[in-house]
Amino acid sequence: MTNPPLKRVLVEEGADRFPSVSRILKRIEGIPVERVSDRKKEKMSGPLNMDKTSLRLISFPGEFLKPCPGTKGYICCGYQILNVGTNCPFDCSYCILQAYFNQPSLRIFVNLEEKLHQIAEVLDRHPDRIFRIGTGEFTDSLALDPIAGWSHVLIPFISERNNAILELKTKTNQVEGLFSFPQRNRIVISWSLNSPSIASREEHGAPGIRKRLEAAKMCQQEGYNIGFHFDPLVHIPGWEEEYKRTFEMMDKLIDPNGIVWLSMGGLRYMPALKAIVRKRHPKSRILVGEFVPGLDGKMRYFKPIRIQMYGFMAEMLRKWHEDLGLYLCMESHDVWEKSLGWSPKNSEGLSHFLDRRAVKFFG
Amino acid sequence: MKDLSGAPETLVELTEISDQPGPYCMSFRFDLDPLKRSIDKFGLIHRPLVIENGNYKKEAVIGFRRVLALKSLKWDRAPMKVLSGDELSPSDLLLLNLYDNLSSRPFNDVEKGMILNRLKPHFSGEEILKEYMPLLGLPSNESTRILYEKLEELDMALRTSCADGDLSLKTIKALLEMDPDSRATLFQWIKDLKLNFNQQMLFIENTLDISNTEATSILQVLQEKPLLNIREDQNLNNPQKAKRSLSYLRRRRFPLLTRSEETFEKTISSLGLPERVRISHPPFFENPDYRLEILFRDGKMLEETVKKLAQLNDLEGIGDPWDEES
Repeated sequence: MTNPPLKRVLVEEGADRFPSVSRILKRIEGIPVERVSDRKKEKMSGPLNMDKTSLRLISFPGEFLKPCPGTKGYICCGYQILNVGTNCPFDCSYCILQAYFNQPSLRIFVNLEEKLHQIAEVLDRHPDRIFRIGTGEFTDSLALDPIAGWSHVLIPFISERNNAILELKTKTNQVEGLFSFPQRNRIVISWSLNSPSIASREEHGAPGIRKRLEAAKMCQQEGYNIGFHFDPLVHIPGWEEEYKRTFEMMDKLIDPNGIVWLSMGGLRYMPALKAIVRKRHPKSRILVGEFVPGLDGKMRYFKPIRIQMYGFMAEMLRKWHEDLGLYLCMESHDVWEKSLGWSPKNSEGLSHFLDRRAVKFFG
Repeated sequence: MKDLSGAPETLVELTEISDQPGPYCMSFRFDLDPLKRSIDKFGLIHRPLVIENGNYKKEAVIGFRRVLALKSLKWDRAPMKVLSGDELSPSDLLLLNLYDNLSSRPFNDVEKGMILNRLKPHFSGEEILKEYMPLLGLPSNESTRILYEKLEELDMALRTSCADGDLSLKTIKALLEMDPDSRATLFQWIKDLKLNFNQQMLFIENTLDISNTEATSILQVLQEKPLLNIREDQNLNNPQKAKRSLSYLRRRRFPLLTRSEETFEKTISSLGLPERVRISHPPFFENPDYRLEILFRDGKMLEETVKKLAQLNDLEGIGDPWDEES
């Protein structure tokens, strides 16, 4: 499994009483442990220092399961975010978390197990609804899993429910840990994909595309259903040829029949991220391109560029397989129409589309 | 702290006082003339406070400007309050001057930076953030503190522009993050074109983005012939040069967007819209809805305008301009 180069573990006040802490500390034996009482003193000294060599074990006081807030003016998929931790050991130049969080370190919320009943209550209150739940919004679902043990808690929990799907979204290639579970039902292991050059230049520390796809192949062989997310699509000179290389690898390694869904989203960022990228990743090429303010205030590629990119990707992917559950993340009705040739019209429509995909695979 | 209100006055030879800004000085970019006129007319009303100093004979703690004004007026000596070197700690002397200044004048940004730098050796970061930054009217955060402290490192021309309020802090921040050559060149352009705050950031951002996109240097971007031609065009005034330079950079930075805007404008102007009718595109074409505006004074005028509009042949041609191009 991926081992982040940890230099210290900080156990925050109140976290010690949860049994997962001793399990986590056992998994990373030998790394110095400090008990800290005051979070404020550890605030990030600036966006340059995300302190990814420190691991914080925290009792998270908030709600673990929350609907994705979506974004004004665009169609959202109706996803549910399960917040199990924040930050990840990789250092992608475009990572929105660089601007989101004013607190450093890799963070694991150690009271997940104790909060499961609250999540169960939410799911049970709406037996007719399908909850598409993901842990990969604020962290990589699997990169810290060997330490955090999230999958041990969540896979059995979700597998036995009829109205939930758990998506573990990752860039890792070390997935063997997942094979020890007997459950496969209602679990989607998905990978964030990009062109090989973007992966190597911008996704620092993350395995390359081939390794990710090989891991996906292994998961398919082990009976897991999988998903892919081309997000963010990056528009740099020669992008078509670059993405074709990824399609070629997909074609060689992946059985498209086992893909639950495949999303695409053009690079977008909060304006504040630009200065952070310039400072933290001066060699990055992600700011190249015609970015304009979107309806939600985030910067995104000028509309015809997005349409062109999605159109190209969709054409290539559909040539490979017609039924991939292809969808766009945070896009407008007209962009859907012009690039994919159809539109779910609104967020509700997209939710229904993805729910039907879930039903198709898991009943 | 010691009460200095009753400190004795001594007639001090002005040559004994350094005319270089010392460790307590927090003045930058000031006009001595009003002070000189006042002293000339009414004499020295407020006595400077000086301290015995090892390097120079005496150093101004309070009244550095008055000392300079007196020297400039060719006074030989003046009455001053004199402290021996050990009467007050350096931090007390600094605070003495700070509070004295605070009660009588506002500080410019460079001076605020000087103050923060001078406070730094004597007070903890926490104290500076919590006590002194609010005192200077600054938000209590690290990034602001770091930015202000760096202002003193800028070269004289930049510092002067900053103190005079010719550059926005956002601009200064952006300039500080560049290498010295790029900073100097960009600053010269901003100065020559007399760009306002908004234009300054647009100019910098677009230049930086072009440089990043084309993997070329800022200096190379700013040496492009069309841009230089605009700056050197004798027939243009400064606002025209500013507008054209910004427009040139925008076109370079957003080729597809600017082309789309032009195509759209061309389409609309070829329609021959009735008077007082306007069709505009959404900002950056992001929202799918276009806007039609009709100005009218009464129903009759509205009816006539709508009829004229309905008779236009090419309304169907209005649409996303990139579709038209492809």
